Amino acid sequence: MASITLDKITKVYPNDVTAVNGVSLDIRDGEFMILLGPSGCGKSTTLRMIAGLEAISSGDMLIGGRRVNDVDPADRDIAIVFQNYALYPHMTVAKNLAFGLKLRHVPASEIETRINRVAALLGIEPLLGRKPSQLSGGQRQRVALGRALVREPQAFLLDEPLSNLDATLRSSMRTELIKLHHTLGTTIVHVTHDQVEAMTMGERICIMKDGDIVQVGEPMEVYRNPANTFVASFLATPPMNLLPGRIESVGAGALVVAMDGVALPVPTAFQAAYASHSGKPVIVGLRPEDFHLAAGDAARTAPIDLVTITTEVLGPEVILVANLASGAGPEIHARMPRDFRAKIGQPLTLHFDLAEIQLFDPETTRVLPRPAHP
Amino acid sequence: MNRLAKKIVPHIILTVFSLIILMPLVWIVRVSLTDKLTAYKIPPEIGTLGLNNYVDIFERFPFVTWFANSFIIAIVSTAIALPLATAMAYSFARLNTGGALLRLGVLASQMLPPIILVLPLFGVFLFVGLTQSRVSLIVAHLSISLPFLSWMLVSFFEGDMARLEEAARVDGASRWQAFLLVAVPVAAPGILAAGLLGFILSWNEFLFVLVLSGPGTQTLPVGLASLETHAGVEIAPLAAATVVSLLPVFALLPFLRKHLIKGLSLGALK
Repeated sequence: MASITLDKITKVYPNDVTAVNGVSLDIRDGEFMILLGPSGCGKSTTLRMIAGLEAISSGDMLIGGRRVNDVDPADRDIAIVFQNYALYPHMTVAKNLAFGLKLRHVPASEIETRINRVAALLGIEPLLGRKPSQLSGGQRQRVALGRALVREPQAFLLDEPLSNLDATLRSSMRTELIKLHHTLGTTIVHVTHDQVEAMTMGERICIMKDGDIVQVGEPMEVYRNPANTFVASFLATPPMNLLPGRIESVGAGALVVAMDGVALPVPTAFQAAYASHSGKPVIVGLRPEDFHLAAGDAARTAPIDLVTITTEVLGPEVILVANLASGAGPEIHARMPRDFRAKIGQPLTLHFDLAEIQLFDPETTRVLPRPAHP
Repeated sequence: MNRLAKKIVPHIILTVFSLIILMPLVWIVRVSLTDKLTAYKIPPEIGTLGLNNYVDIFERFPFVTWFANSFIIAIVSTAIALPLATAMAYSFARLNTGGALLRLGVLASQMLPPIILVLPLFGVFLFVGLTQSRVSLIVAHLSISLPFLSWMLVSFFEGDMARLEEAARVDGASRWQAFLLVAVPVAAPGILAAGLLGFILSWNEFLFVLVLSGPGTQTLPVGLASLETHAGVEIAPLAAATVVSLLPVFALLPFLRKHLIKGLSLGALK
């Protein structure tokens, strides 16, 4: 087991495209770290640089404290699981598992013991004699995982390993990977563009965009306190509502966030933090689950008048899609209880939980810092 | 009725096509079993059938030498071309050696009519004293098969192969081990198909052998052509020799069917 340290890692391709731009990240020994981002954000390139499959243009890469910039992938003692599994098609499952051990001259008896142990762990004993072409997608996934596990490496690198599976299988493999990590305690770096995977699996999430790290933190920390509008709109479905607004002073230090026809009083605990932005435009971030049908304590919630565009009845909940009553601004998504119904065009008033408000600077898109919980 | 027609019509068409393709073969087999006079009779006559011509080609002509030359040259040139072409294809596909320019350059050598290449090649062999040798013919055939086979094999090392090799390298393989233990075995159907094609290319090659070979090093195509003498075409022995020279290709046919189709239809990774 080992920690992985990226120190100002940069990847510039020969055609002058910068895929990764001076990224620094400390992945702790035994940690389950998620690299999350849209395609083309540099997360896979970062993973491939950790594996040694991509040359590092500048910066230092350390695995277990050892600088590995110029170390061959074979000598980094890490294992990788690819999106398309990359099982050796000409070998049986058992030989696929044994391949890396044979290359490392592990004695045959030891190889057999390890293969049997891993096969039992993943429930692939009946498949050991088969070729990859005779396996289903989920079985190939397990074998690919087994090939990584059997090596007992310093760290596992997973490159979108679940994205080729159907929804049910993906969800059960998620659970299984979490369990595996719990059992083995080995460092895992998992690349994904799926924010559900990121939220449910990661001990920490590293969100990347355009070759930069935008935010690193525990899932709920990132969810509750997004660093900028990108993170706010990337995590969760539906994502945080982002609406144009303005901070206005209403005397005696009191502030309101004014949007078209709506005024949200700023909770006392945030007033000091937002005071310097008084009179300036902001982007107002409202999570869909912070809209409520019933008004709470006047100091804690504020009414927002909306006009229904449509409702999405999902079963456990209903997503209300609406506009502000003034008709201006982007669509607002609100998470409603499962028996909520509204007709198209129907006006209604929801109550927003003011303690959950997030404000962003429209120019930098960065969050305006405020105390985490009032 | 309609369904019956749907079943029958394709068979009729296929039968006609098969006959068109098979007619010359059947004709040659028939001629090989008769004599020169009967061979040219119109309408065709069966006449008295016999194996005289088959005996003839071995007694009157150096058929065994031709056959052996063809076989040795085809086997040796393919055995040399195949590993080289595999390595070339690999470096084109995975390392982009020489870029598009080298790839096109290799292909361009095949765009030239062979007749343009054959005389300079003759000059070269004359200079190094290799004219009329089997070695010169093997080298000449390599100049045909190497570009062709390497181009054919490039696609087998592209695409998903890169992932497999990366998996092997992370698993602990060196570049060489990844190539030999993963890339080559996975591309094996394609390599085999390429080998079969290389053999056939050499087996059928005429022009280079005609110019570069000597009396003892002629191969079947040139040897057969020499049966068309100024004293007339020895049609019956020629037919018999043609039939015998087809045998190796027929022997390869089951392999060809299996591996060529598999090899050429890619997607072997999934």
